[in-house]
Amino acid sequence: MIMWKIALRNIIRQKRRSILTALSMFGGFVLAAFFIGFSDGTYNGIIDTFTRSQTGHIQVHAKDYLAHPSLYKTIDRPAEIEKILEQMDKVDSWTPRLYSAGLASVGEKSAGVRIIGIDPEREVLTTKFAEKVISGSMFAAEDAHAVMIGKGLAKLLHAVVNEDVVIVSQAADGSIANDRYKVVGILESGDEISDRSSFYLPLAAAQELLVMGARVHEIALTVRSLLDVAPLREILEKKIRVGEANLSVEPWQVFARSFYIAMQADKAGMWITLLIIVLVVAVGVLNTVLMSVLERRREYGVLKAVGTKPGQIIEMVLLEVNILGVICIVLGTAVGLLLNYIFSIHGISMSEPMTYGGIKFQHMFTEINARSFIIPAVTVLLSATLVGFFPALKAARTDPARAMRIH
Amino acid sequence: MEKQTPIIVTENVKKTYEDNGVEVRAVRGVDLTISAGEFTAIVGPSGSGKTTFLNIISGLDTLTSGRVVLNGKPLSDIKGSELSDFRRDHIGFIFQAYNLIPVLTVEENVEYIMLLQGVPKAERHKRVMEILADVGLREYAQRLPAKLSGGQQQRVAVARAMVSNPDLILADEPTANLDSKTGSELLDMMKELNEKKGMTFLFSTHDEMIMKRARRVITLKDGIVAADVLKK
Repeated sequence: MIMWKIALRNIIRQKRRSILTALSMFGGFVLAAFFIGFSDGTYNGIIDTFTRSQTGHIQVHAKDYLAHPSLYKTIDRPAEIEKILEQMDKVDSWTPRLYSAGLASVGEKSAGVRIIGIDPEREVLTTKFAEKVISGSMFAAEDAHAVMIGKGLAKLLHAVVNEDVVIVSQAADGSIANDRYKVVGILESGDEISDRSSFYLPLAAAQELLVMGARVHEIALTVRSLLDVAPLREILEKKIRVGEANLSVEPWQVFARSFYIAMQADKAGMWITLLIIVLVVAVGVLNTVLMSVLERRREYGVLKAVGTKPGQIIEMVLLEVNILGVICIVLGTAVGLLLNYIFSIHGISMSEPMTYGGIKFQHMFTEINARSFIIPAVTVLLSATLVGFFPALKAARTDPARAMRIH
Repeated sequence: MEKQTPIIVTENVKKTYEDNGVEVRAVRGVDLTISAGEFTAIVGPSGSGKTTFLNIISGLDTLTSGRVVLNGKPLSDIKGSELSDFRRDHIGFIFQAYNLIPVLTVEENVEYIMLLQGVPKAERHKRVMEILADVGLREYAQRLPAKLSGGQQQRVAVARAMVSNPDLILADEPTANLDSKTGSELLDMMKELNEKKGMTFLFSTHDEMIMKRARRVITLKDGIVAADVLKK
């Protein structure tokens, strides 16, 4: 208790030095809390936008479909899975999809395409499909001869809305699949490569073209929060009995692997920036604490002379630094919360939009979460203790006889 | 004459150190016995080895050769943090510059050593108030040292040195920063406490007032005992 008393009163006594030390800790804490909140908000925003715009958070496929896609690796009874999904609270929405490849032609122009069968009503509920239409309109589920194509493909085929496109592919029964469709809409997803080959058909029309019956290749689903992805995937795996049904349930980190790796690489950059902030704070703290210890050598000498153990002197110096640290964390949490709240509402507008996974991001928003404050708090206390240890050791090693000769 | 219990016995104590590459022989072989209840002054000119000798017998400094036995225990047998405990429990210090802890009140300064010893709160409070009454500072218990005069601060230092009933109180030039009237009053008070409580005082000084009051005066010159006079 006496060590606490001395530490606390020394903080008050050396006001200017305490304020200087506190400012580096407070500044570092607020900066780190804002930085983590901002980067979490940005990354989670990008991930959420990307997954909600294109892939969904979780996908169900036939086993091994992702590694080796094939027309024949299908989900044979999608209705059963959809029934299960309807009963799951944390599932926001879901949509079935069917994929194949073919050759599309308009007049003398032709191009290889990716046929994607979608349920338009479910797709707009699950992804931002409707927002991608730049010309024409959406088709309806019951349209048997309507197609929507990517902007790049429209350019390759010189196709415009209301133009007829002929598609040739291979059906699941081995026959040649071919039909004529009217272009009802042109899409721009932001991903130019995919837009050069996207050929969207209503699911029923695609199933008929490819003689697939009710089978689909994918059910993509979105969840309420990114935090729900992992637990929900596990529950879903159990409910649809993936082993027996020969299915797989994968999170976005697996089926959007390159996007996930890019995100992870960017997050690693965040830690490096955080480390630089910590180093700047640590140097500031070390400087002021060391100066303070050197100024008080005589006092430490007296304390040692009257029987204070070196360990107690170390405790006293570290207490001083950590009491300041705790005060800074409390004040910094209030300021950091306010900052993160303001920027979570108003966001930060980028002068140049960032592009991720073919999606452009103009506004970044902070996120208010516990880790934005826990990580800086632990970092401030740990670095303060670590950095304070050297001056504390110096204080503990004070030679009382020599120190007391200093007048 | 009644044989007194020896508190300190030094045998051929020597201390040599280097100062800017020059070997300084500060203490060159001191044999002394200080007994319980003595009020003794070690005197001598600057550089005679007084302070070094006091530092050695209190364990604040190491000796180059020889032996120091404090209350039957050789100092050489005490290592590391045991030395801190030993100083805390057996020696009280009074310094020339008072050396109170500036952030603690008078009461807290005096009770500090007892806090380190783990003395219960009620007992601490009782002893602190008693000793503050002895040194005439009971009403200043809640003041910070900076709010006291030099003489009052040194009286607090005396109280701090005596409160845990150490075997020996070492006072290094305790009156050097005080005017003669305050110094004289402080010495009278210490002498009275020595007589009342039987505590052993060992001064390092060249203050005539201390020499006059001391019952024994040991003169150090060039690191050796030049004279050892016991007054009748």
